[in-house]
Amino acid sequence: MDFVDYLGSRWDNLLELGVEHALVTALAVVIATVIGVGLGLLTYDRPRLRQLVIATCSVFLTIPSLALFGLFISWLGLGTTPVVTALVMYSLLPIVANTIVGLRGVDPAVVESAQGMGMSRLQRLFRIELPLAWPVILTGMRVSTLLALGIVAIGAYILGPGLGNDIFAGLSRISSPNALNLVLGGTLGVIVLAILFDLLFVLLNRLTTAKGIR
Amino acid sequence: MTGPTKIRLDALTKRFPGQSRPAVEELSMQIPEGEIVIFVGPSGCGKTTTMKMINRLIEPTSGRIFLDDEDVTRVDPDKLRRRMGYVIQQIGLFPHQTIAQNIATVPKLLGWDRKRVDARVDELIGLVGMDPADYRDRYPKQLSGGQRQRIGVARAMSADPDVMLMDEPFGAIDPITRDRLQNEFLRLQAEIKKTIVFVTHDIDEAIKMGDRIAILREGSRIAQFDTPERILVDPADEFVADFIGRGASLKRLSLSRVRDIELGDWPTVADGTELADARRLLAESDKGSLLLLDRQGVPRGWLTGDHLRAATGPVTAGDGLPLATVRPGATLSDTLNEMLTARYSTAVVVDDDNRYAGVVEIDTINEAIRGMQTAERQRLRGQALAEADPVEPTR
Repeated sequence: MDFVDYLGSRWDNLLELGVEHALVTALAVVIATVIGVGLGLLTYDRPRLRQLVIATCSVFLTIPSLALFGLFISWLGLGTTPVVTALVMYSLLPIVANTIVGLRGVDPAVVESAQGMGMSRLQRLFRIELPLAWPVILTGMRVSTLLALGIVAIGAYILGPGLGNDIFAGLSRISSPNALNLVLGGTLGVIVLAILFDLLFVLLNRLTTAKGIR
Repeated sequence: MTGPTKIRLDALTKRFPGQSRPAVEELSMQIPEGEIVIFVGPSGCGKTTTMKMINRLIEPTSGRIFLDDEDVTRVDPDKLRRRMGYVIQQIGLFPHQTIAQNIATVPKLLGWDRKRVDARVDELIGLVGMDPADYRDRYPKQLSGGQRQRIGVARAMSADPDVMLMDEPFGAIDPITRDRLQNEFLRLQAEIKKTIVFVTHDIDEAIKMGDRIAILREGSRIAQFDTPERILVDPADEFVADFIGRGASLKRLSLSRVRDIELGDWPTVADGTELADARRLLAESDKGSLLLLDRQGVPRGWLTGDHLRAATGPVTAGDGLPLATVRPGATLSDTLNEMLTARYSTAVVVDDDNRYAGVVEIDTINEAIRGMQTAERQRLRGQALAEADPVEPTR
């Protein structure tokens, strides 16, 4: 069977795996965004804490994903939960780092004038600083998403969801006639998802970034 | 007479941690209502720190601040700041908000309803000389530096505060635009009569803008707190004299304007006058040239004897030497500058429609300087006599 025929016959299966893959990625990035932006807000103006948080998230990112999944088996078992947990850990660094960079990049004169006009700390944060840092934070989320898309595939190793299942299935019976098609199909699916997510972020950026700073 | 006191600082002191000397040391002063009070001094003298303690962007270490006799040293700083306009050198407009949203900041914080906010926004954009319909929905990055500065001032005035704090508001603008904005601001202040605390390091700006100038030395200690005239004529000590620098007489020229002095007359000749008539006019006058006016009465140039000798037909606008023209609102300093630039010792004064109104000669300026010195000396002498019953100096 050549690859085109394979795609035709396995279309529905690929679509289902792709949707799972996308959902797990999106879930992880959303959780990582909530935690990451929160950590960024709490630490961006405290040098010590800021360094500690960045260092910790960097350590997360250096753990090989296969090893991390292995370590999680005894604690979280198999399936979606350990995969999402690991993805959140990997996604944190770009989001935290960009939140901090974005908030620190806000022109001090803008913050001072906001304060001088009588905006409270929270008003300044939510009406001025976060909207101005938002494009940078969004870029962090975009990087995290691409990172997560690749790692979800490896999650199939501990029975996680997504296109990794096809890739691992193909790799485990490398001599069977469909092995190459399985790997190719899964990989292509991940690439298509990456492109779609990227488009989504372009759209999101246009919709959520104030016109004055685009 | 001096108006009632608007802001009173009582033994205000600020020590920053890790510094042996206080940035502001036991500063007491009274800022009268409706005046522009300038804090001026060398960099690091504590003038900005002092200003920022008034709206408590910097909290004083000790001492008290009174606004309208109310002790505001311990009140909620956010609420206090909404009662005072604040303009800084970098302006700090919110780049993600439109001009209208920027100006609406404080009114919205104060909970005004939308209609009132919208009306106020348009009023203010107009007040700073811009067109509301055109600029309301623009973003700061679409404005020039001078326009941003105007909007910064409009934003600070949005909730009609009695007090405005301005930290080198015209510092980052090119000299020509700065001069224009300063003049606009003075005109505006003549209408709105706010109490303004204005920080600058530029003594010339201080002299031009201030009703009263506080010259500060290190630790924000007052070297002299007085009107610009008095500071120029009678500096309190070496430090003040040094800070004013050489050329106090020259600086005093910034204090009087063309409209304050008597304008001279000059023989004029209309565009298209016959050559013979023009020559006769020149011969009859005691001046070396004629002022050529066009049909609308707008001065076009100087016609000298050389011109008239070389001319062959009726005089035309293209003939004359270039003019130095000034308006009645120009300072004598501007006027002198124009004269020097045009290399002609007479400046032509024109009205708002650019029509000829009179001339200022260099001798007139000279006399004006001498007159000011005499008047000031007499006033000082008068004050020395009235020592038993001291009165506040006024402008």
